[in-house]
Amino acid sequence: MRKINSIFVIDDDPITVFGFKKLLASLDLCDDIKTYGNGKLALDAIKDILNTTEDLPEVIFLDINMPIMDGWQFLEEFIALPIAQKVRVNVITSSIDRVDYEKSEMFKSKTHHLIEYNNKPIRKREIEEITKVA
Amino acid sequence: MLRNHFTLVGNFDNMLRETKISPSTYLIKQLPEATAFVDKKLRVVYASDKWVNDFEFTGGEVIGKTLQQLFGTVSKEWKQVLDNCLMGEAKEVGIERYYDSDKNEKWFEWTNIPWYDDKENVIGIIIQTSDITQRVLNEIKLEKLEILLEDKSEIAKIGSWEYDAVRDSLYWCDMTKAIHGVPLGYVPSLETGIEFYKEGYNRNTIAMAVDNAMTKGAAWSEKLQLTTAKGKEIWVMAAGKPIFKKNKFLGLIGTFQDITEEVEAQIKKEEKDRIVRSIFNSSYQFTGILDPDGTFLEINETALKFADLKAEDVINKKFWDAYWWPVPDLVKAGLKQVVKAASEGEFMRSEIVVFDKNKESVPVDFSLKPIYDQHGKVVSLLAEGRMIKEMVVAREKLKQSEKKFRALYELSPVSYVLNDLETGEILDFNSAFAEKTGYTKEDIAQIKYKDIIPDTHKKVHKDIMQQLKKISVVGPIEKEYLKKDGTTYTVLVNKSILVSKKGRKLVWTSAQDISEAKRKELQILEERKLLKTLIDNLPLNVFIKDRDSKKVLVNKSEIQFCGVSNENEIIGKDDFDFFDKETAQSSREEDLRVMDSFEPMIGKETINIKKDGTLTTFLTSKIPLKGIDGEVSGLVGISLDISDLKQKEEELRGLINVTSLQNKKLINFAHIVSHNLRSHTANFSMLLEFLIDEKDEQEKKKIVDMLITASDNLLETLDNLNEVVAININTNLEKKPVRLNEKIAAVEENLMAFLKNHNATIINEVPDDTFINVVPIYADSILMNFITNAVKYRDPERDPVIKLSAKSQNGHTVLSIADNGVGIDLKKNGDKLFGMYKTFHDNSDARGIGLYITKNQIESMNGKIITCSEVGKGTTFNIYFNEKN
Repeated sequence: MRKINSIFVIDDDPITVFGFKKLLASLDLCDDIKTYGNGKLALDAIKDILNTTEDLPEVIFLDINMPIMDGWQFLEEFIALPIAQKVRVNVITSSIDRVDYEKSEMFKSKTHHLIEYNNKPIRKREIEEITKVA
Repeated sequence: MLRNHFTLVGNFDNMLRETKISPSTYLIKQLPEATAFVDKKLRVVYASDKWVNDFEFTGGEVIGKTLQQLFGTVSKEWKQVLDNCLMGEAKEVGIERYYDSDKNEKWFEWTNIPWYDDKENVIGIIIQTSDITQRVLNEIKLEKLEILLEDKSEIAKIGSWEYDAVRDSLYWCDMTKAIHGVPLGYVPSLETGIEFYKEGYNRNTIAMAVDNAMTKGAAWSEKLQLTTAKGKEIWVMAAGKPIFKKNKFLGLIGTFQDITEEVEAQIKKEEKDRIVRSIFNSSYQFTGILDPDGTFLEINETALKFADLKAEDVINKKFWDAYWWPVPDLVKAGLKQVVKAASEGEFMRSEIVVFDKNKESVPVDFSLKPIYDQHGKVVSLLAEGRMIKEMVVAREKLKQSEKKFRALYELSPVSYVLNDLETGEILDFNSAFAEKTGYTKEDIAQIKYKDIIPDTHKKVHKDIMQQLKKISVVGPIEKEYLKKDGTTYTVLVNKSILVSKKGRKLVWTSAQDISEAKRKELQILEERKLLKTLIDNLPLNVFIKDRDSKKVLVNKSEIQFCGVSNENEIIGKDDFDFFDKETAQSSREEDLRVMDSFEPMIGKETINIKKDGTLTTFLTSKIPLKGIDGEVSGLVGISLDISDLKQKEEELRGLINVTSLQNKKLINFAHIVSHNLRSHTANFSMLLEFLIDEKDEQEKKKIVDMLITASDNLLETLDNLNEVVAININTNLEKKPVRLNEKIAAVEENLMAFLKNHNATIINEVPDDTFINVVPIYADSILMNFITNAVKYRDPERDPVIKLSAKSQNGHTVLSIADNGVGIDLKKNGDKLFGMYKTFHDNSDARGIGLYITKNQIESMNGKIITCSEVGKGTTFNIYFNEKN
C-alpha cells in the first residue's frame, strides 16, 4: 500500500490535533502531516503549494467550528481552486446537527473532490478507513 | 166552422143528388108564395121562382148555394132564428130590410119553419117570404105623421116643417123654431129659412136641394151647418121631399134635426182616431192588427221601417209569412199555434228574435192580444213587438254579474248574512258563514241575528245597530260572533241597510273572520319582538340601509357604536354623519358594489374611523336586499367588532414570534450545548484511549496534562452555558428605569486602565436625562461588552474612538455605540456575530461568548440589536431598549 504523500489537519483544538497526529503516526500512513488552526491558514498553504511543485494534500481532516474561517468557508473556497486531482476531505465534527450533515452533502454534490462527513471522536480503526487516497 | 163544412161535403152531395131527381122540385118551383127549402147547412135545396125573383137571384143558380153566399151576410139575429128552427122551434116570423140591385129599400116578412122528413127528423128549414115593402113604407109614413102630430120630436130634437106652395107659406113647428133660435111667434119664409144656413157650401146645397125637389121631384137629406138667430153655429140634418098630386107640385114636407152634438162627437172621434193612428204609426214598438185567422189588417210604420217594407208587402198577408221571421219554416208552425191561441182568447207573449232590414237578429218582446167586440167575440188580434236588444244585453250582463255575485257570495271566505232589521230574522247566509258558525241552511228559520252575538257583545251590538239605523252603513267594526257550539271568534263586520221591493228593511252583514289574522298578527308581533330583542342583543352591529345608504334600521349595538342614545338619531342618516370621511366613502363604495352586483360581501375586515378618530376593526358582511319589485332596495349589514380580537391576534402573533424565537434559541442552545460538550467528551474519549494504550511514561504524562486542559475547558464551557441559561431563565428580573449616563460613567470608571492602555477615547453624547428601563446588572454587562469589544477589535492603524449617543424611537430608547475599529464583513459573518463561540477575528482573546451573552440579555428585556459595519472603517451597534415592561 502506497503511503499518502501529504495530509492536512485543519482544527483549532490542540487536543484534537494531537489526537489526529498520534493516530496517523501510529498507522504510519503518511510522512507529511501538516496542521492548521483555522481554514484561512490551510487555504493559504494550499494556494502556496499550487504555485510550487510541492505535493498537494491527498487527505484533509477538516473541523467545522473554527475562528477566522470555519470549515464551510474553507470548503467553499477550496472547491473553487484549480485542483485537478481528487482530494479526500474528511469533515470531522462533534456536531450532531443534521443541518451540518446536509451542508457537507451539498458540498459533496458540488465538487469532484471526495467529501466525507464524520463525527468525533474518531477511533483508530475508523481513521484507517478514511485515510486513503480518494 | 170551415173545417166542419168540409167534413160534411160527402153527405151533402148525396142529399143533393137525391133531391135533384125528386119530382117535388118542379112543384115547389111553381109555388105562388116565395119559398125556399134549405138544408141544415143553410144550403138552398129547393126554391120557388117567386123567391128567386123577389130576391133577384135570377142571374145564377140558387140551388146548392148557402144563404150567406146568396145574401152576402146572414145577420146574427137571423142566424139565431135559423139555428132555433133547426132545433125544431117552429114558425118564427121576422121582418127584414133588404136592398135590391137598384139600392131600393125592400121589406120582407120571413117565416121559418123546420123541415121534417118522414121520420120527423129536422133536415132543414122551409123559408117563406112575402114582400111587405109597400105596407112598411106606409106604416113609416104613418108613424112619421104620428110623430109630427104628437110632437114626439122633442126627445130626438127633431123638428118638422111644411111648405105650402099654393099659399107660399112655410110652417115650422116649435122644435124647428127652437133649433133656429127664433121665438115661437116667428114666421119663416122659404128665403129667410135658407138664409140661416152658413154662406157658401151650406146655403148653396140647401138651395139646390129645394130647387131639385121642386123641379125634379127629388127628396133630400143633408148634413149642414147653420147659424141660429142667437149666433150659435150648429149642425143640422135637414131632410125634405116634394109632394105632388097628379103631377102638380103642392109643396114640401121635411124634418129638421139638431145634430151638433153628434157631429161634434164624430169630429172628436175622428180627431181621436187620427191621434190614435199617429200613435199607432209613430210608436216605438211594432204594432199590427190581424184578423183572427192571422191575416194582417194593419201594420204600423215602425214595423215597416224596421224591415224596410211597404204596407202592401204585409197587409192581407199571413202573419207567419212576414219577412222578419228568421227561420220561417221552423217558426211558422209555432206562430200559427200562437195566432190560434190568441184568436181563442189567450193573451200570448214571448221573446223572439226577428230580422231587421239588414238580416241582423234583434230580440223582441212579442205579444199577441185578442180584441173583442161588444159581444165578447174575438174580432181581431193586436200584435205588438218591442225591441229589447238593450234589455237583453243588460239582462245578460245582469245574469252574468248575478252569477258572479252568486259565486263570489258562496265561495267568498267572508261570511255574508242577510237579516231583517226589525225582527232580526235571518233570511240568508253564505257557505262561509255556515262553515264559520256551524249553522246549516236548515237552521235559518230557527236562528235570529242576536243568536250569533255573545252576551258579552250584546251592548256593542246594540250600539252598532243604532248607528246603522242612523247612517245605513257601518263598519268595519271588530266584534265577536257566537258559534253554534257556543264558542266565539273575532270578526270584522260591515253592515248596510237595504230595502226590499216590499219595503222591508234588511241588513247585509259581511263578517270577516279575523281570529286567525289576529292570532297571526300577535304571532308576528311576538316574532318581531323576539327578532328585535335578538337583533338588539346580538354582539354585532346590525343595520339596514336603503338604496342611498341611509340607515333605515339599526340595532342597539349600532346605536351605541354611533354614540347616540336612540335610533331616531341614526335613522335617515348615513355613514358620513358619523364616521371619518374616508371610512364613510369606502363604506359607500362597498354598499354600491354590493347593491349593483347583487353579490353579498361576506366577512370583510374593515377599519372604521369615527369622527373623533377612534379606530375600530370590524368583520363586516353586507347582503343586498331585494324589494317587492325585484329591484335592489338596500342592504343589510352586520359588523362584528374585532378590535379586541385583532389586538389579541397581534399579541398572539407577538407571542408566537417570541415563542418561536425562544424555541429557535433553545434549539440553538441545545446545539451549542451538545456541540460544545460533545467536542470536549470526544477529546476525553480520545485521550483516554491513547492513555490506555500508551506505554511511554513521558507520553502518558503529556496525555494526562491534556486531559486536565480538556477538563478545564469543559468547566469553562459549562460556566458560560450556565450564565446564558441564567439570563434566559430569569426573564422576570425586575426592570428599573436607570439613567444611562450613570451606567456609562460606571463602566468607564471600571475600564479606565484598560482604555488607557489602548489609548481609547470615549465620546459620550447621550443626553443626561436619558433613562432606560433595564435590569441594572444587564446594563452594566451590555455596556462593558460593547466597549471592550470596540477596543479589542480596534484597527491597529489608529487609536480606538468610541462614540455613544441615544435617541427615543417608537417606544424604544436607542443607544448607539459607534467605533472606528476593523469592522466586520456582515455579509460573510453577520450570522456568526452573536453566535456562541463564534469568532472571526484573528484575536487570541476572542472567546465567542461575550456578544452572545449580551444579545441574550437585551432580548430578555424585549430589546434588540441592529448592527452596521464596514470593514476597515468601524462598527455601530444600535441597542434598542424597550421603554415598556
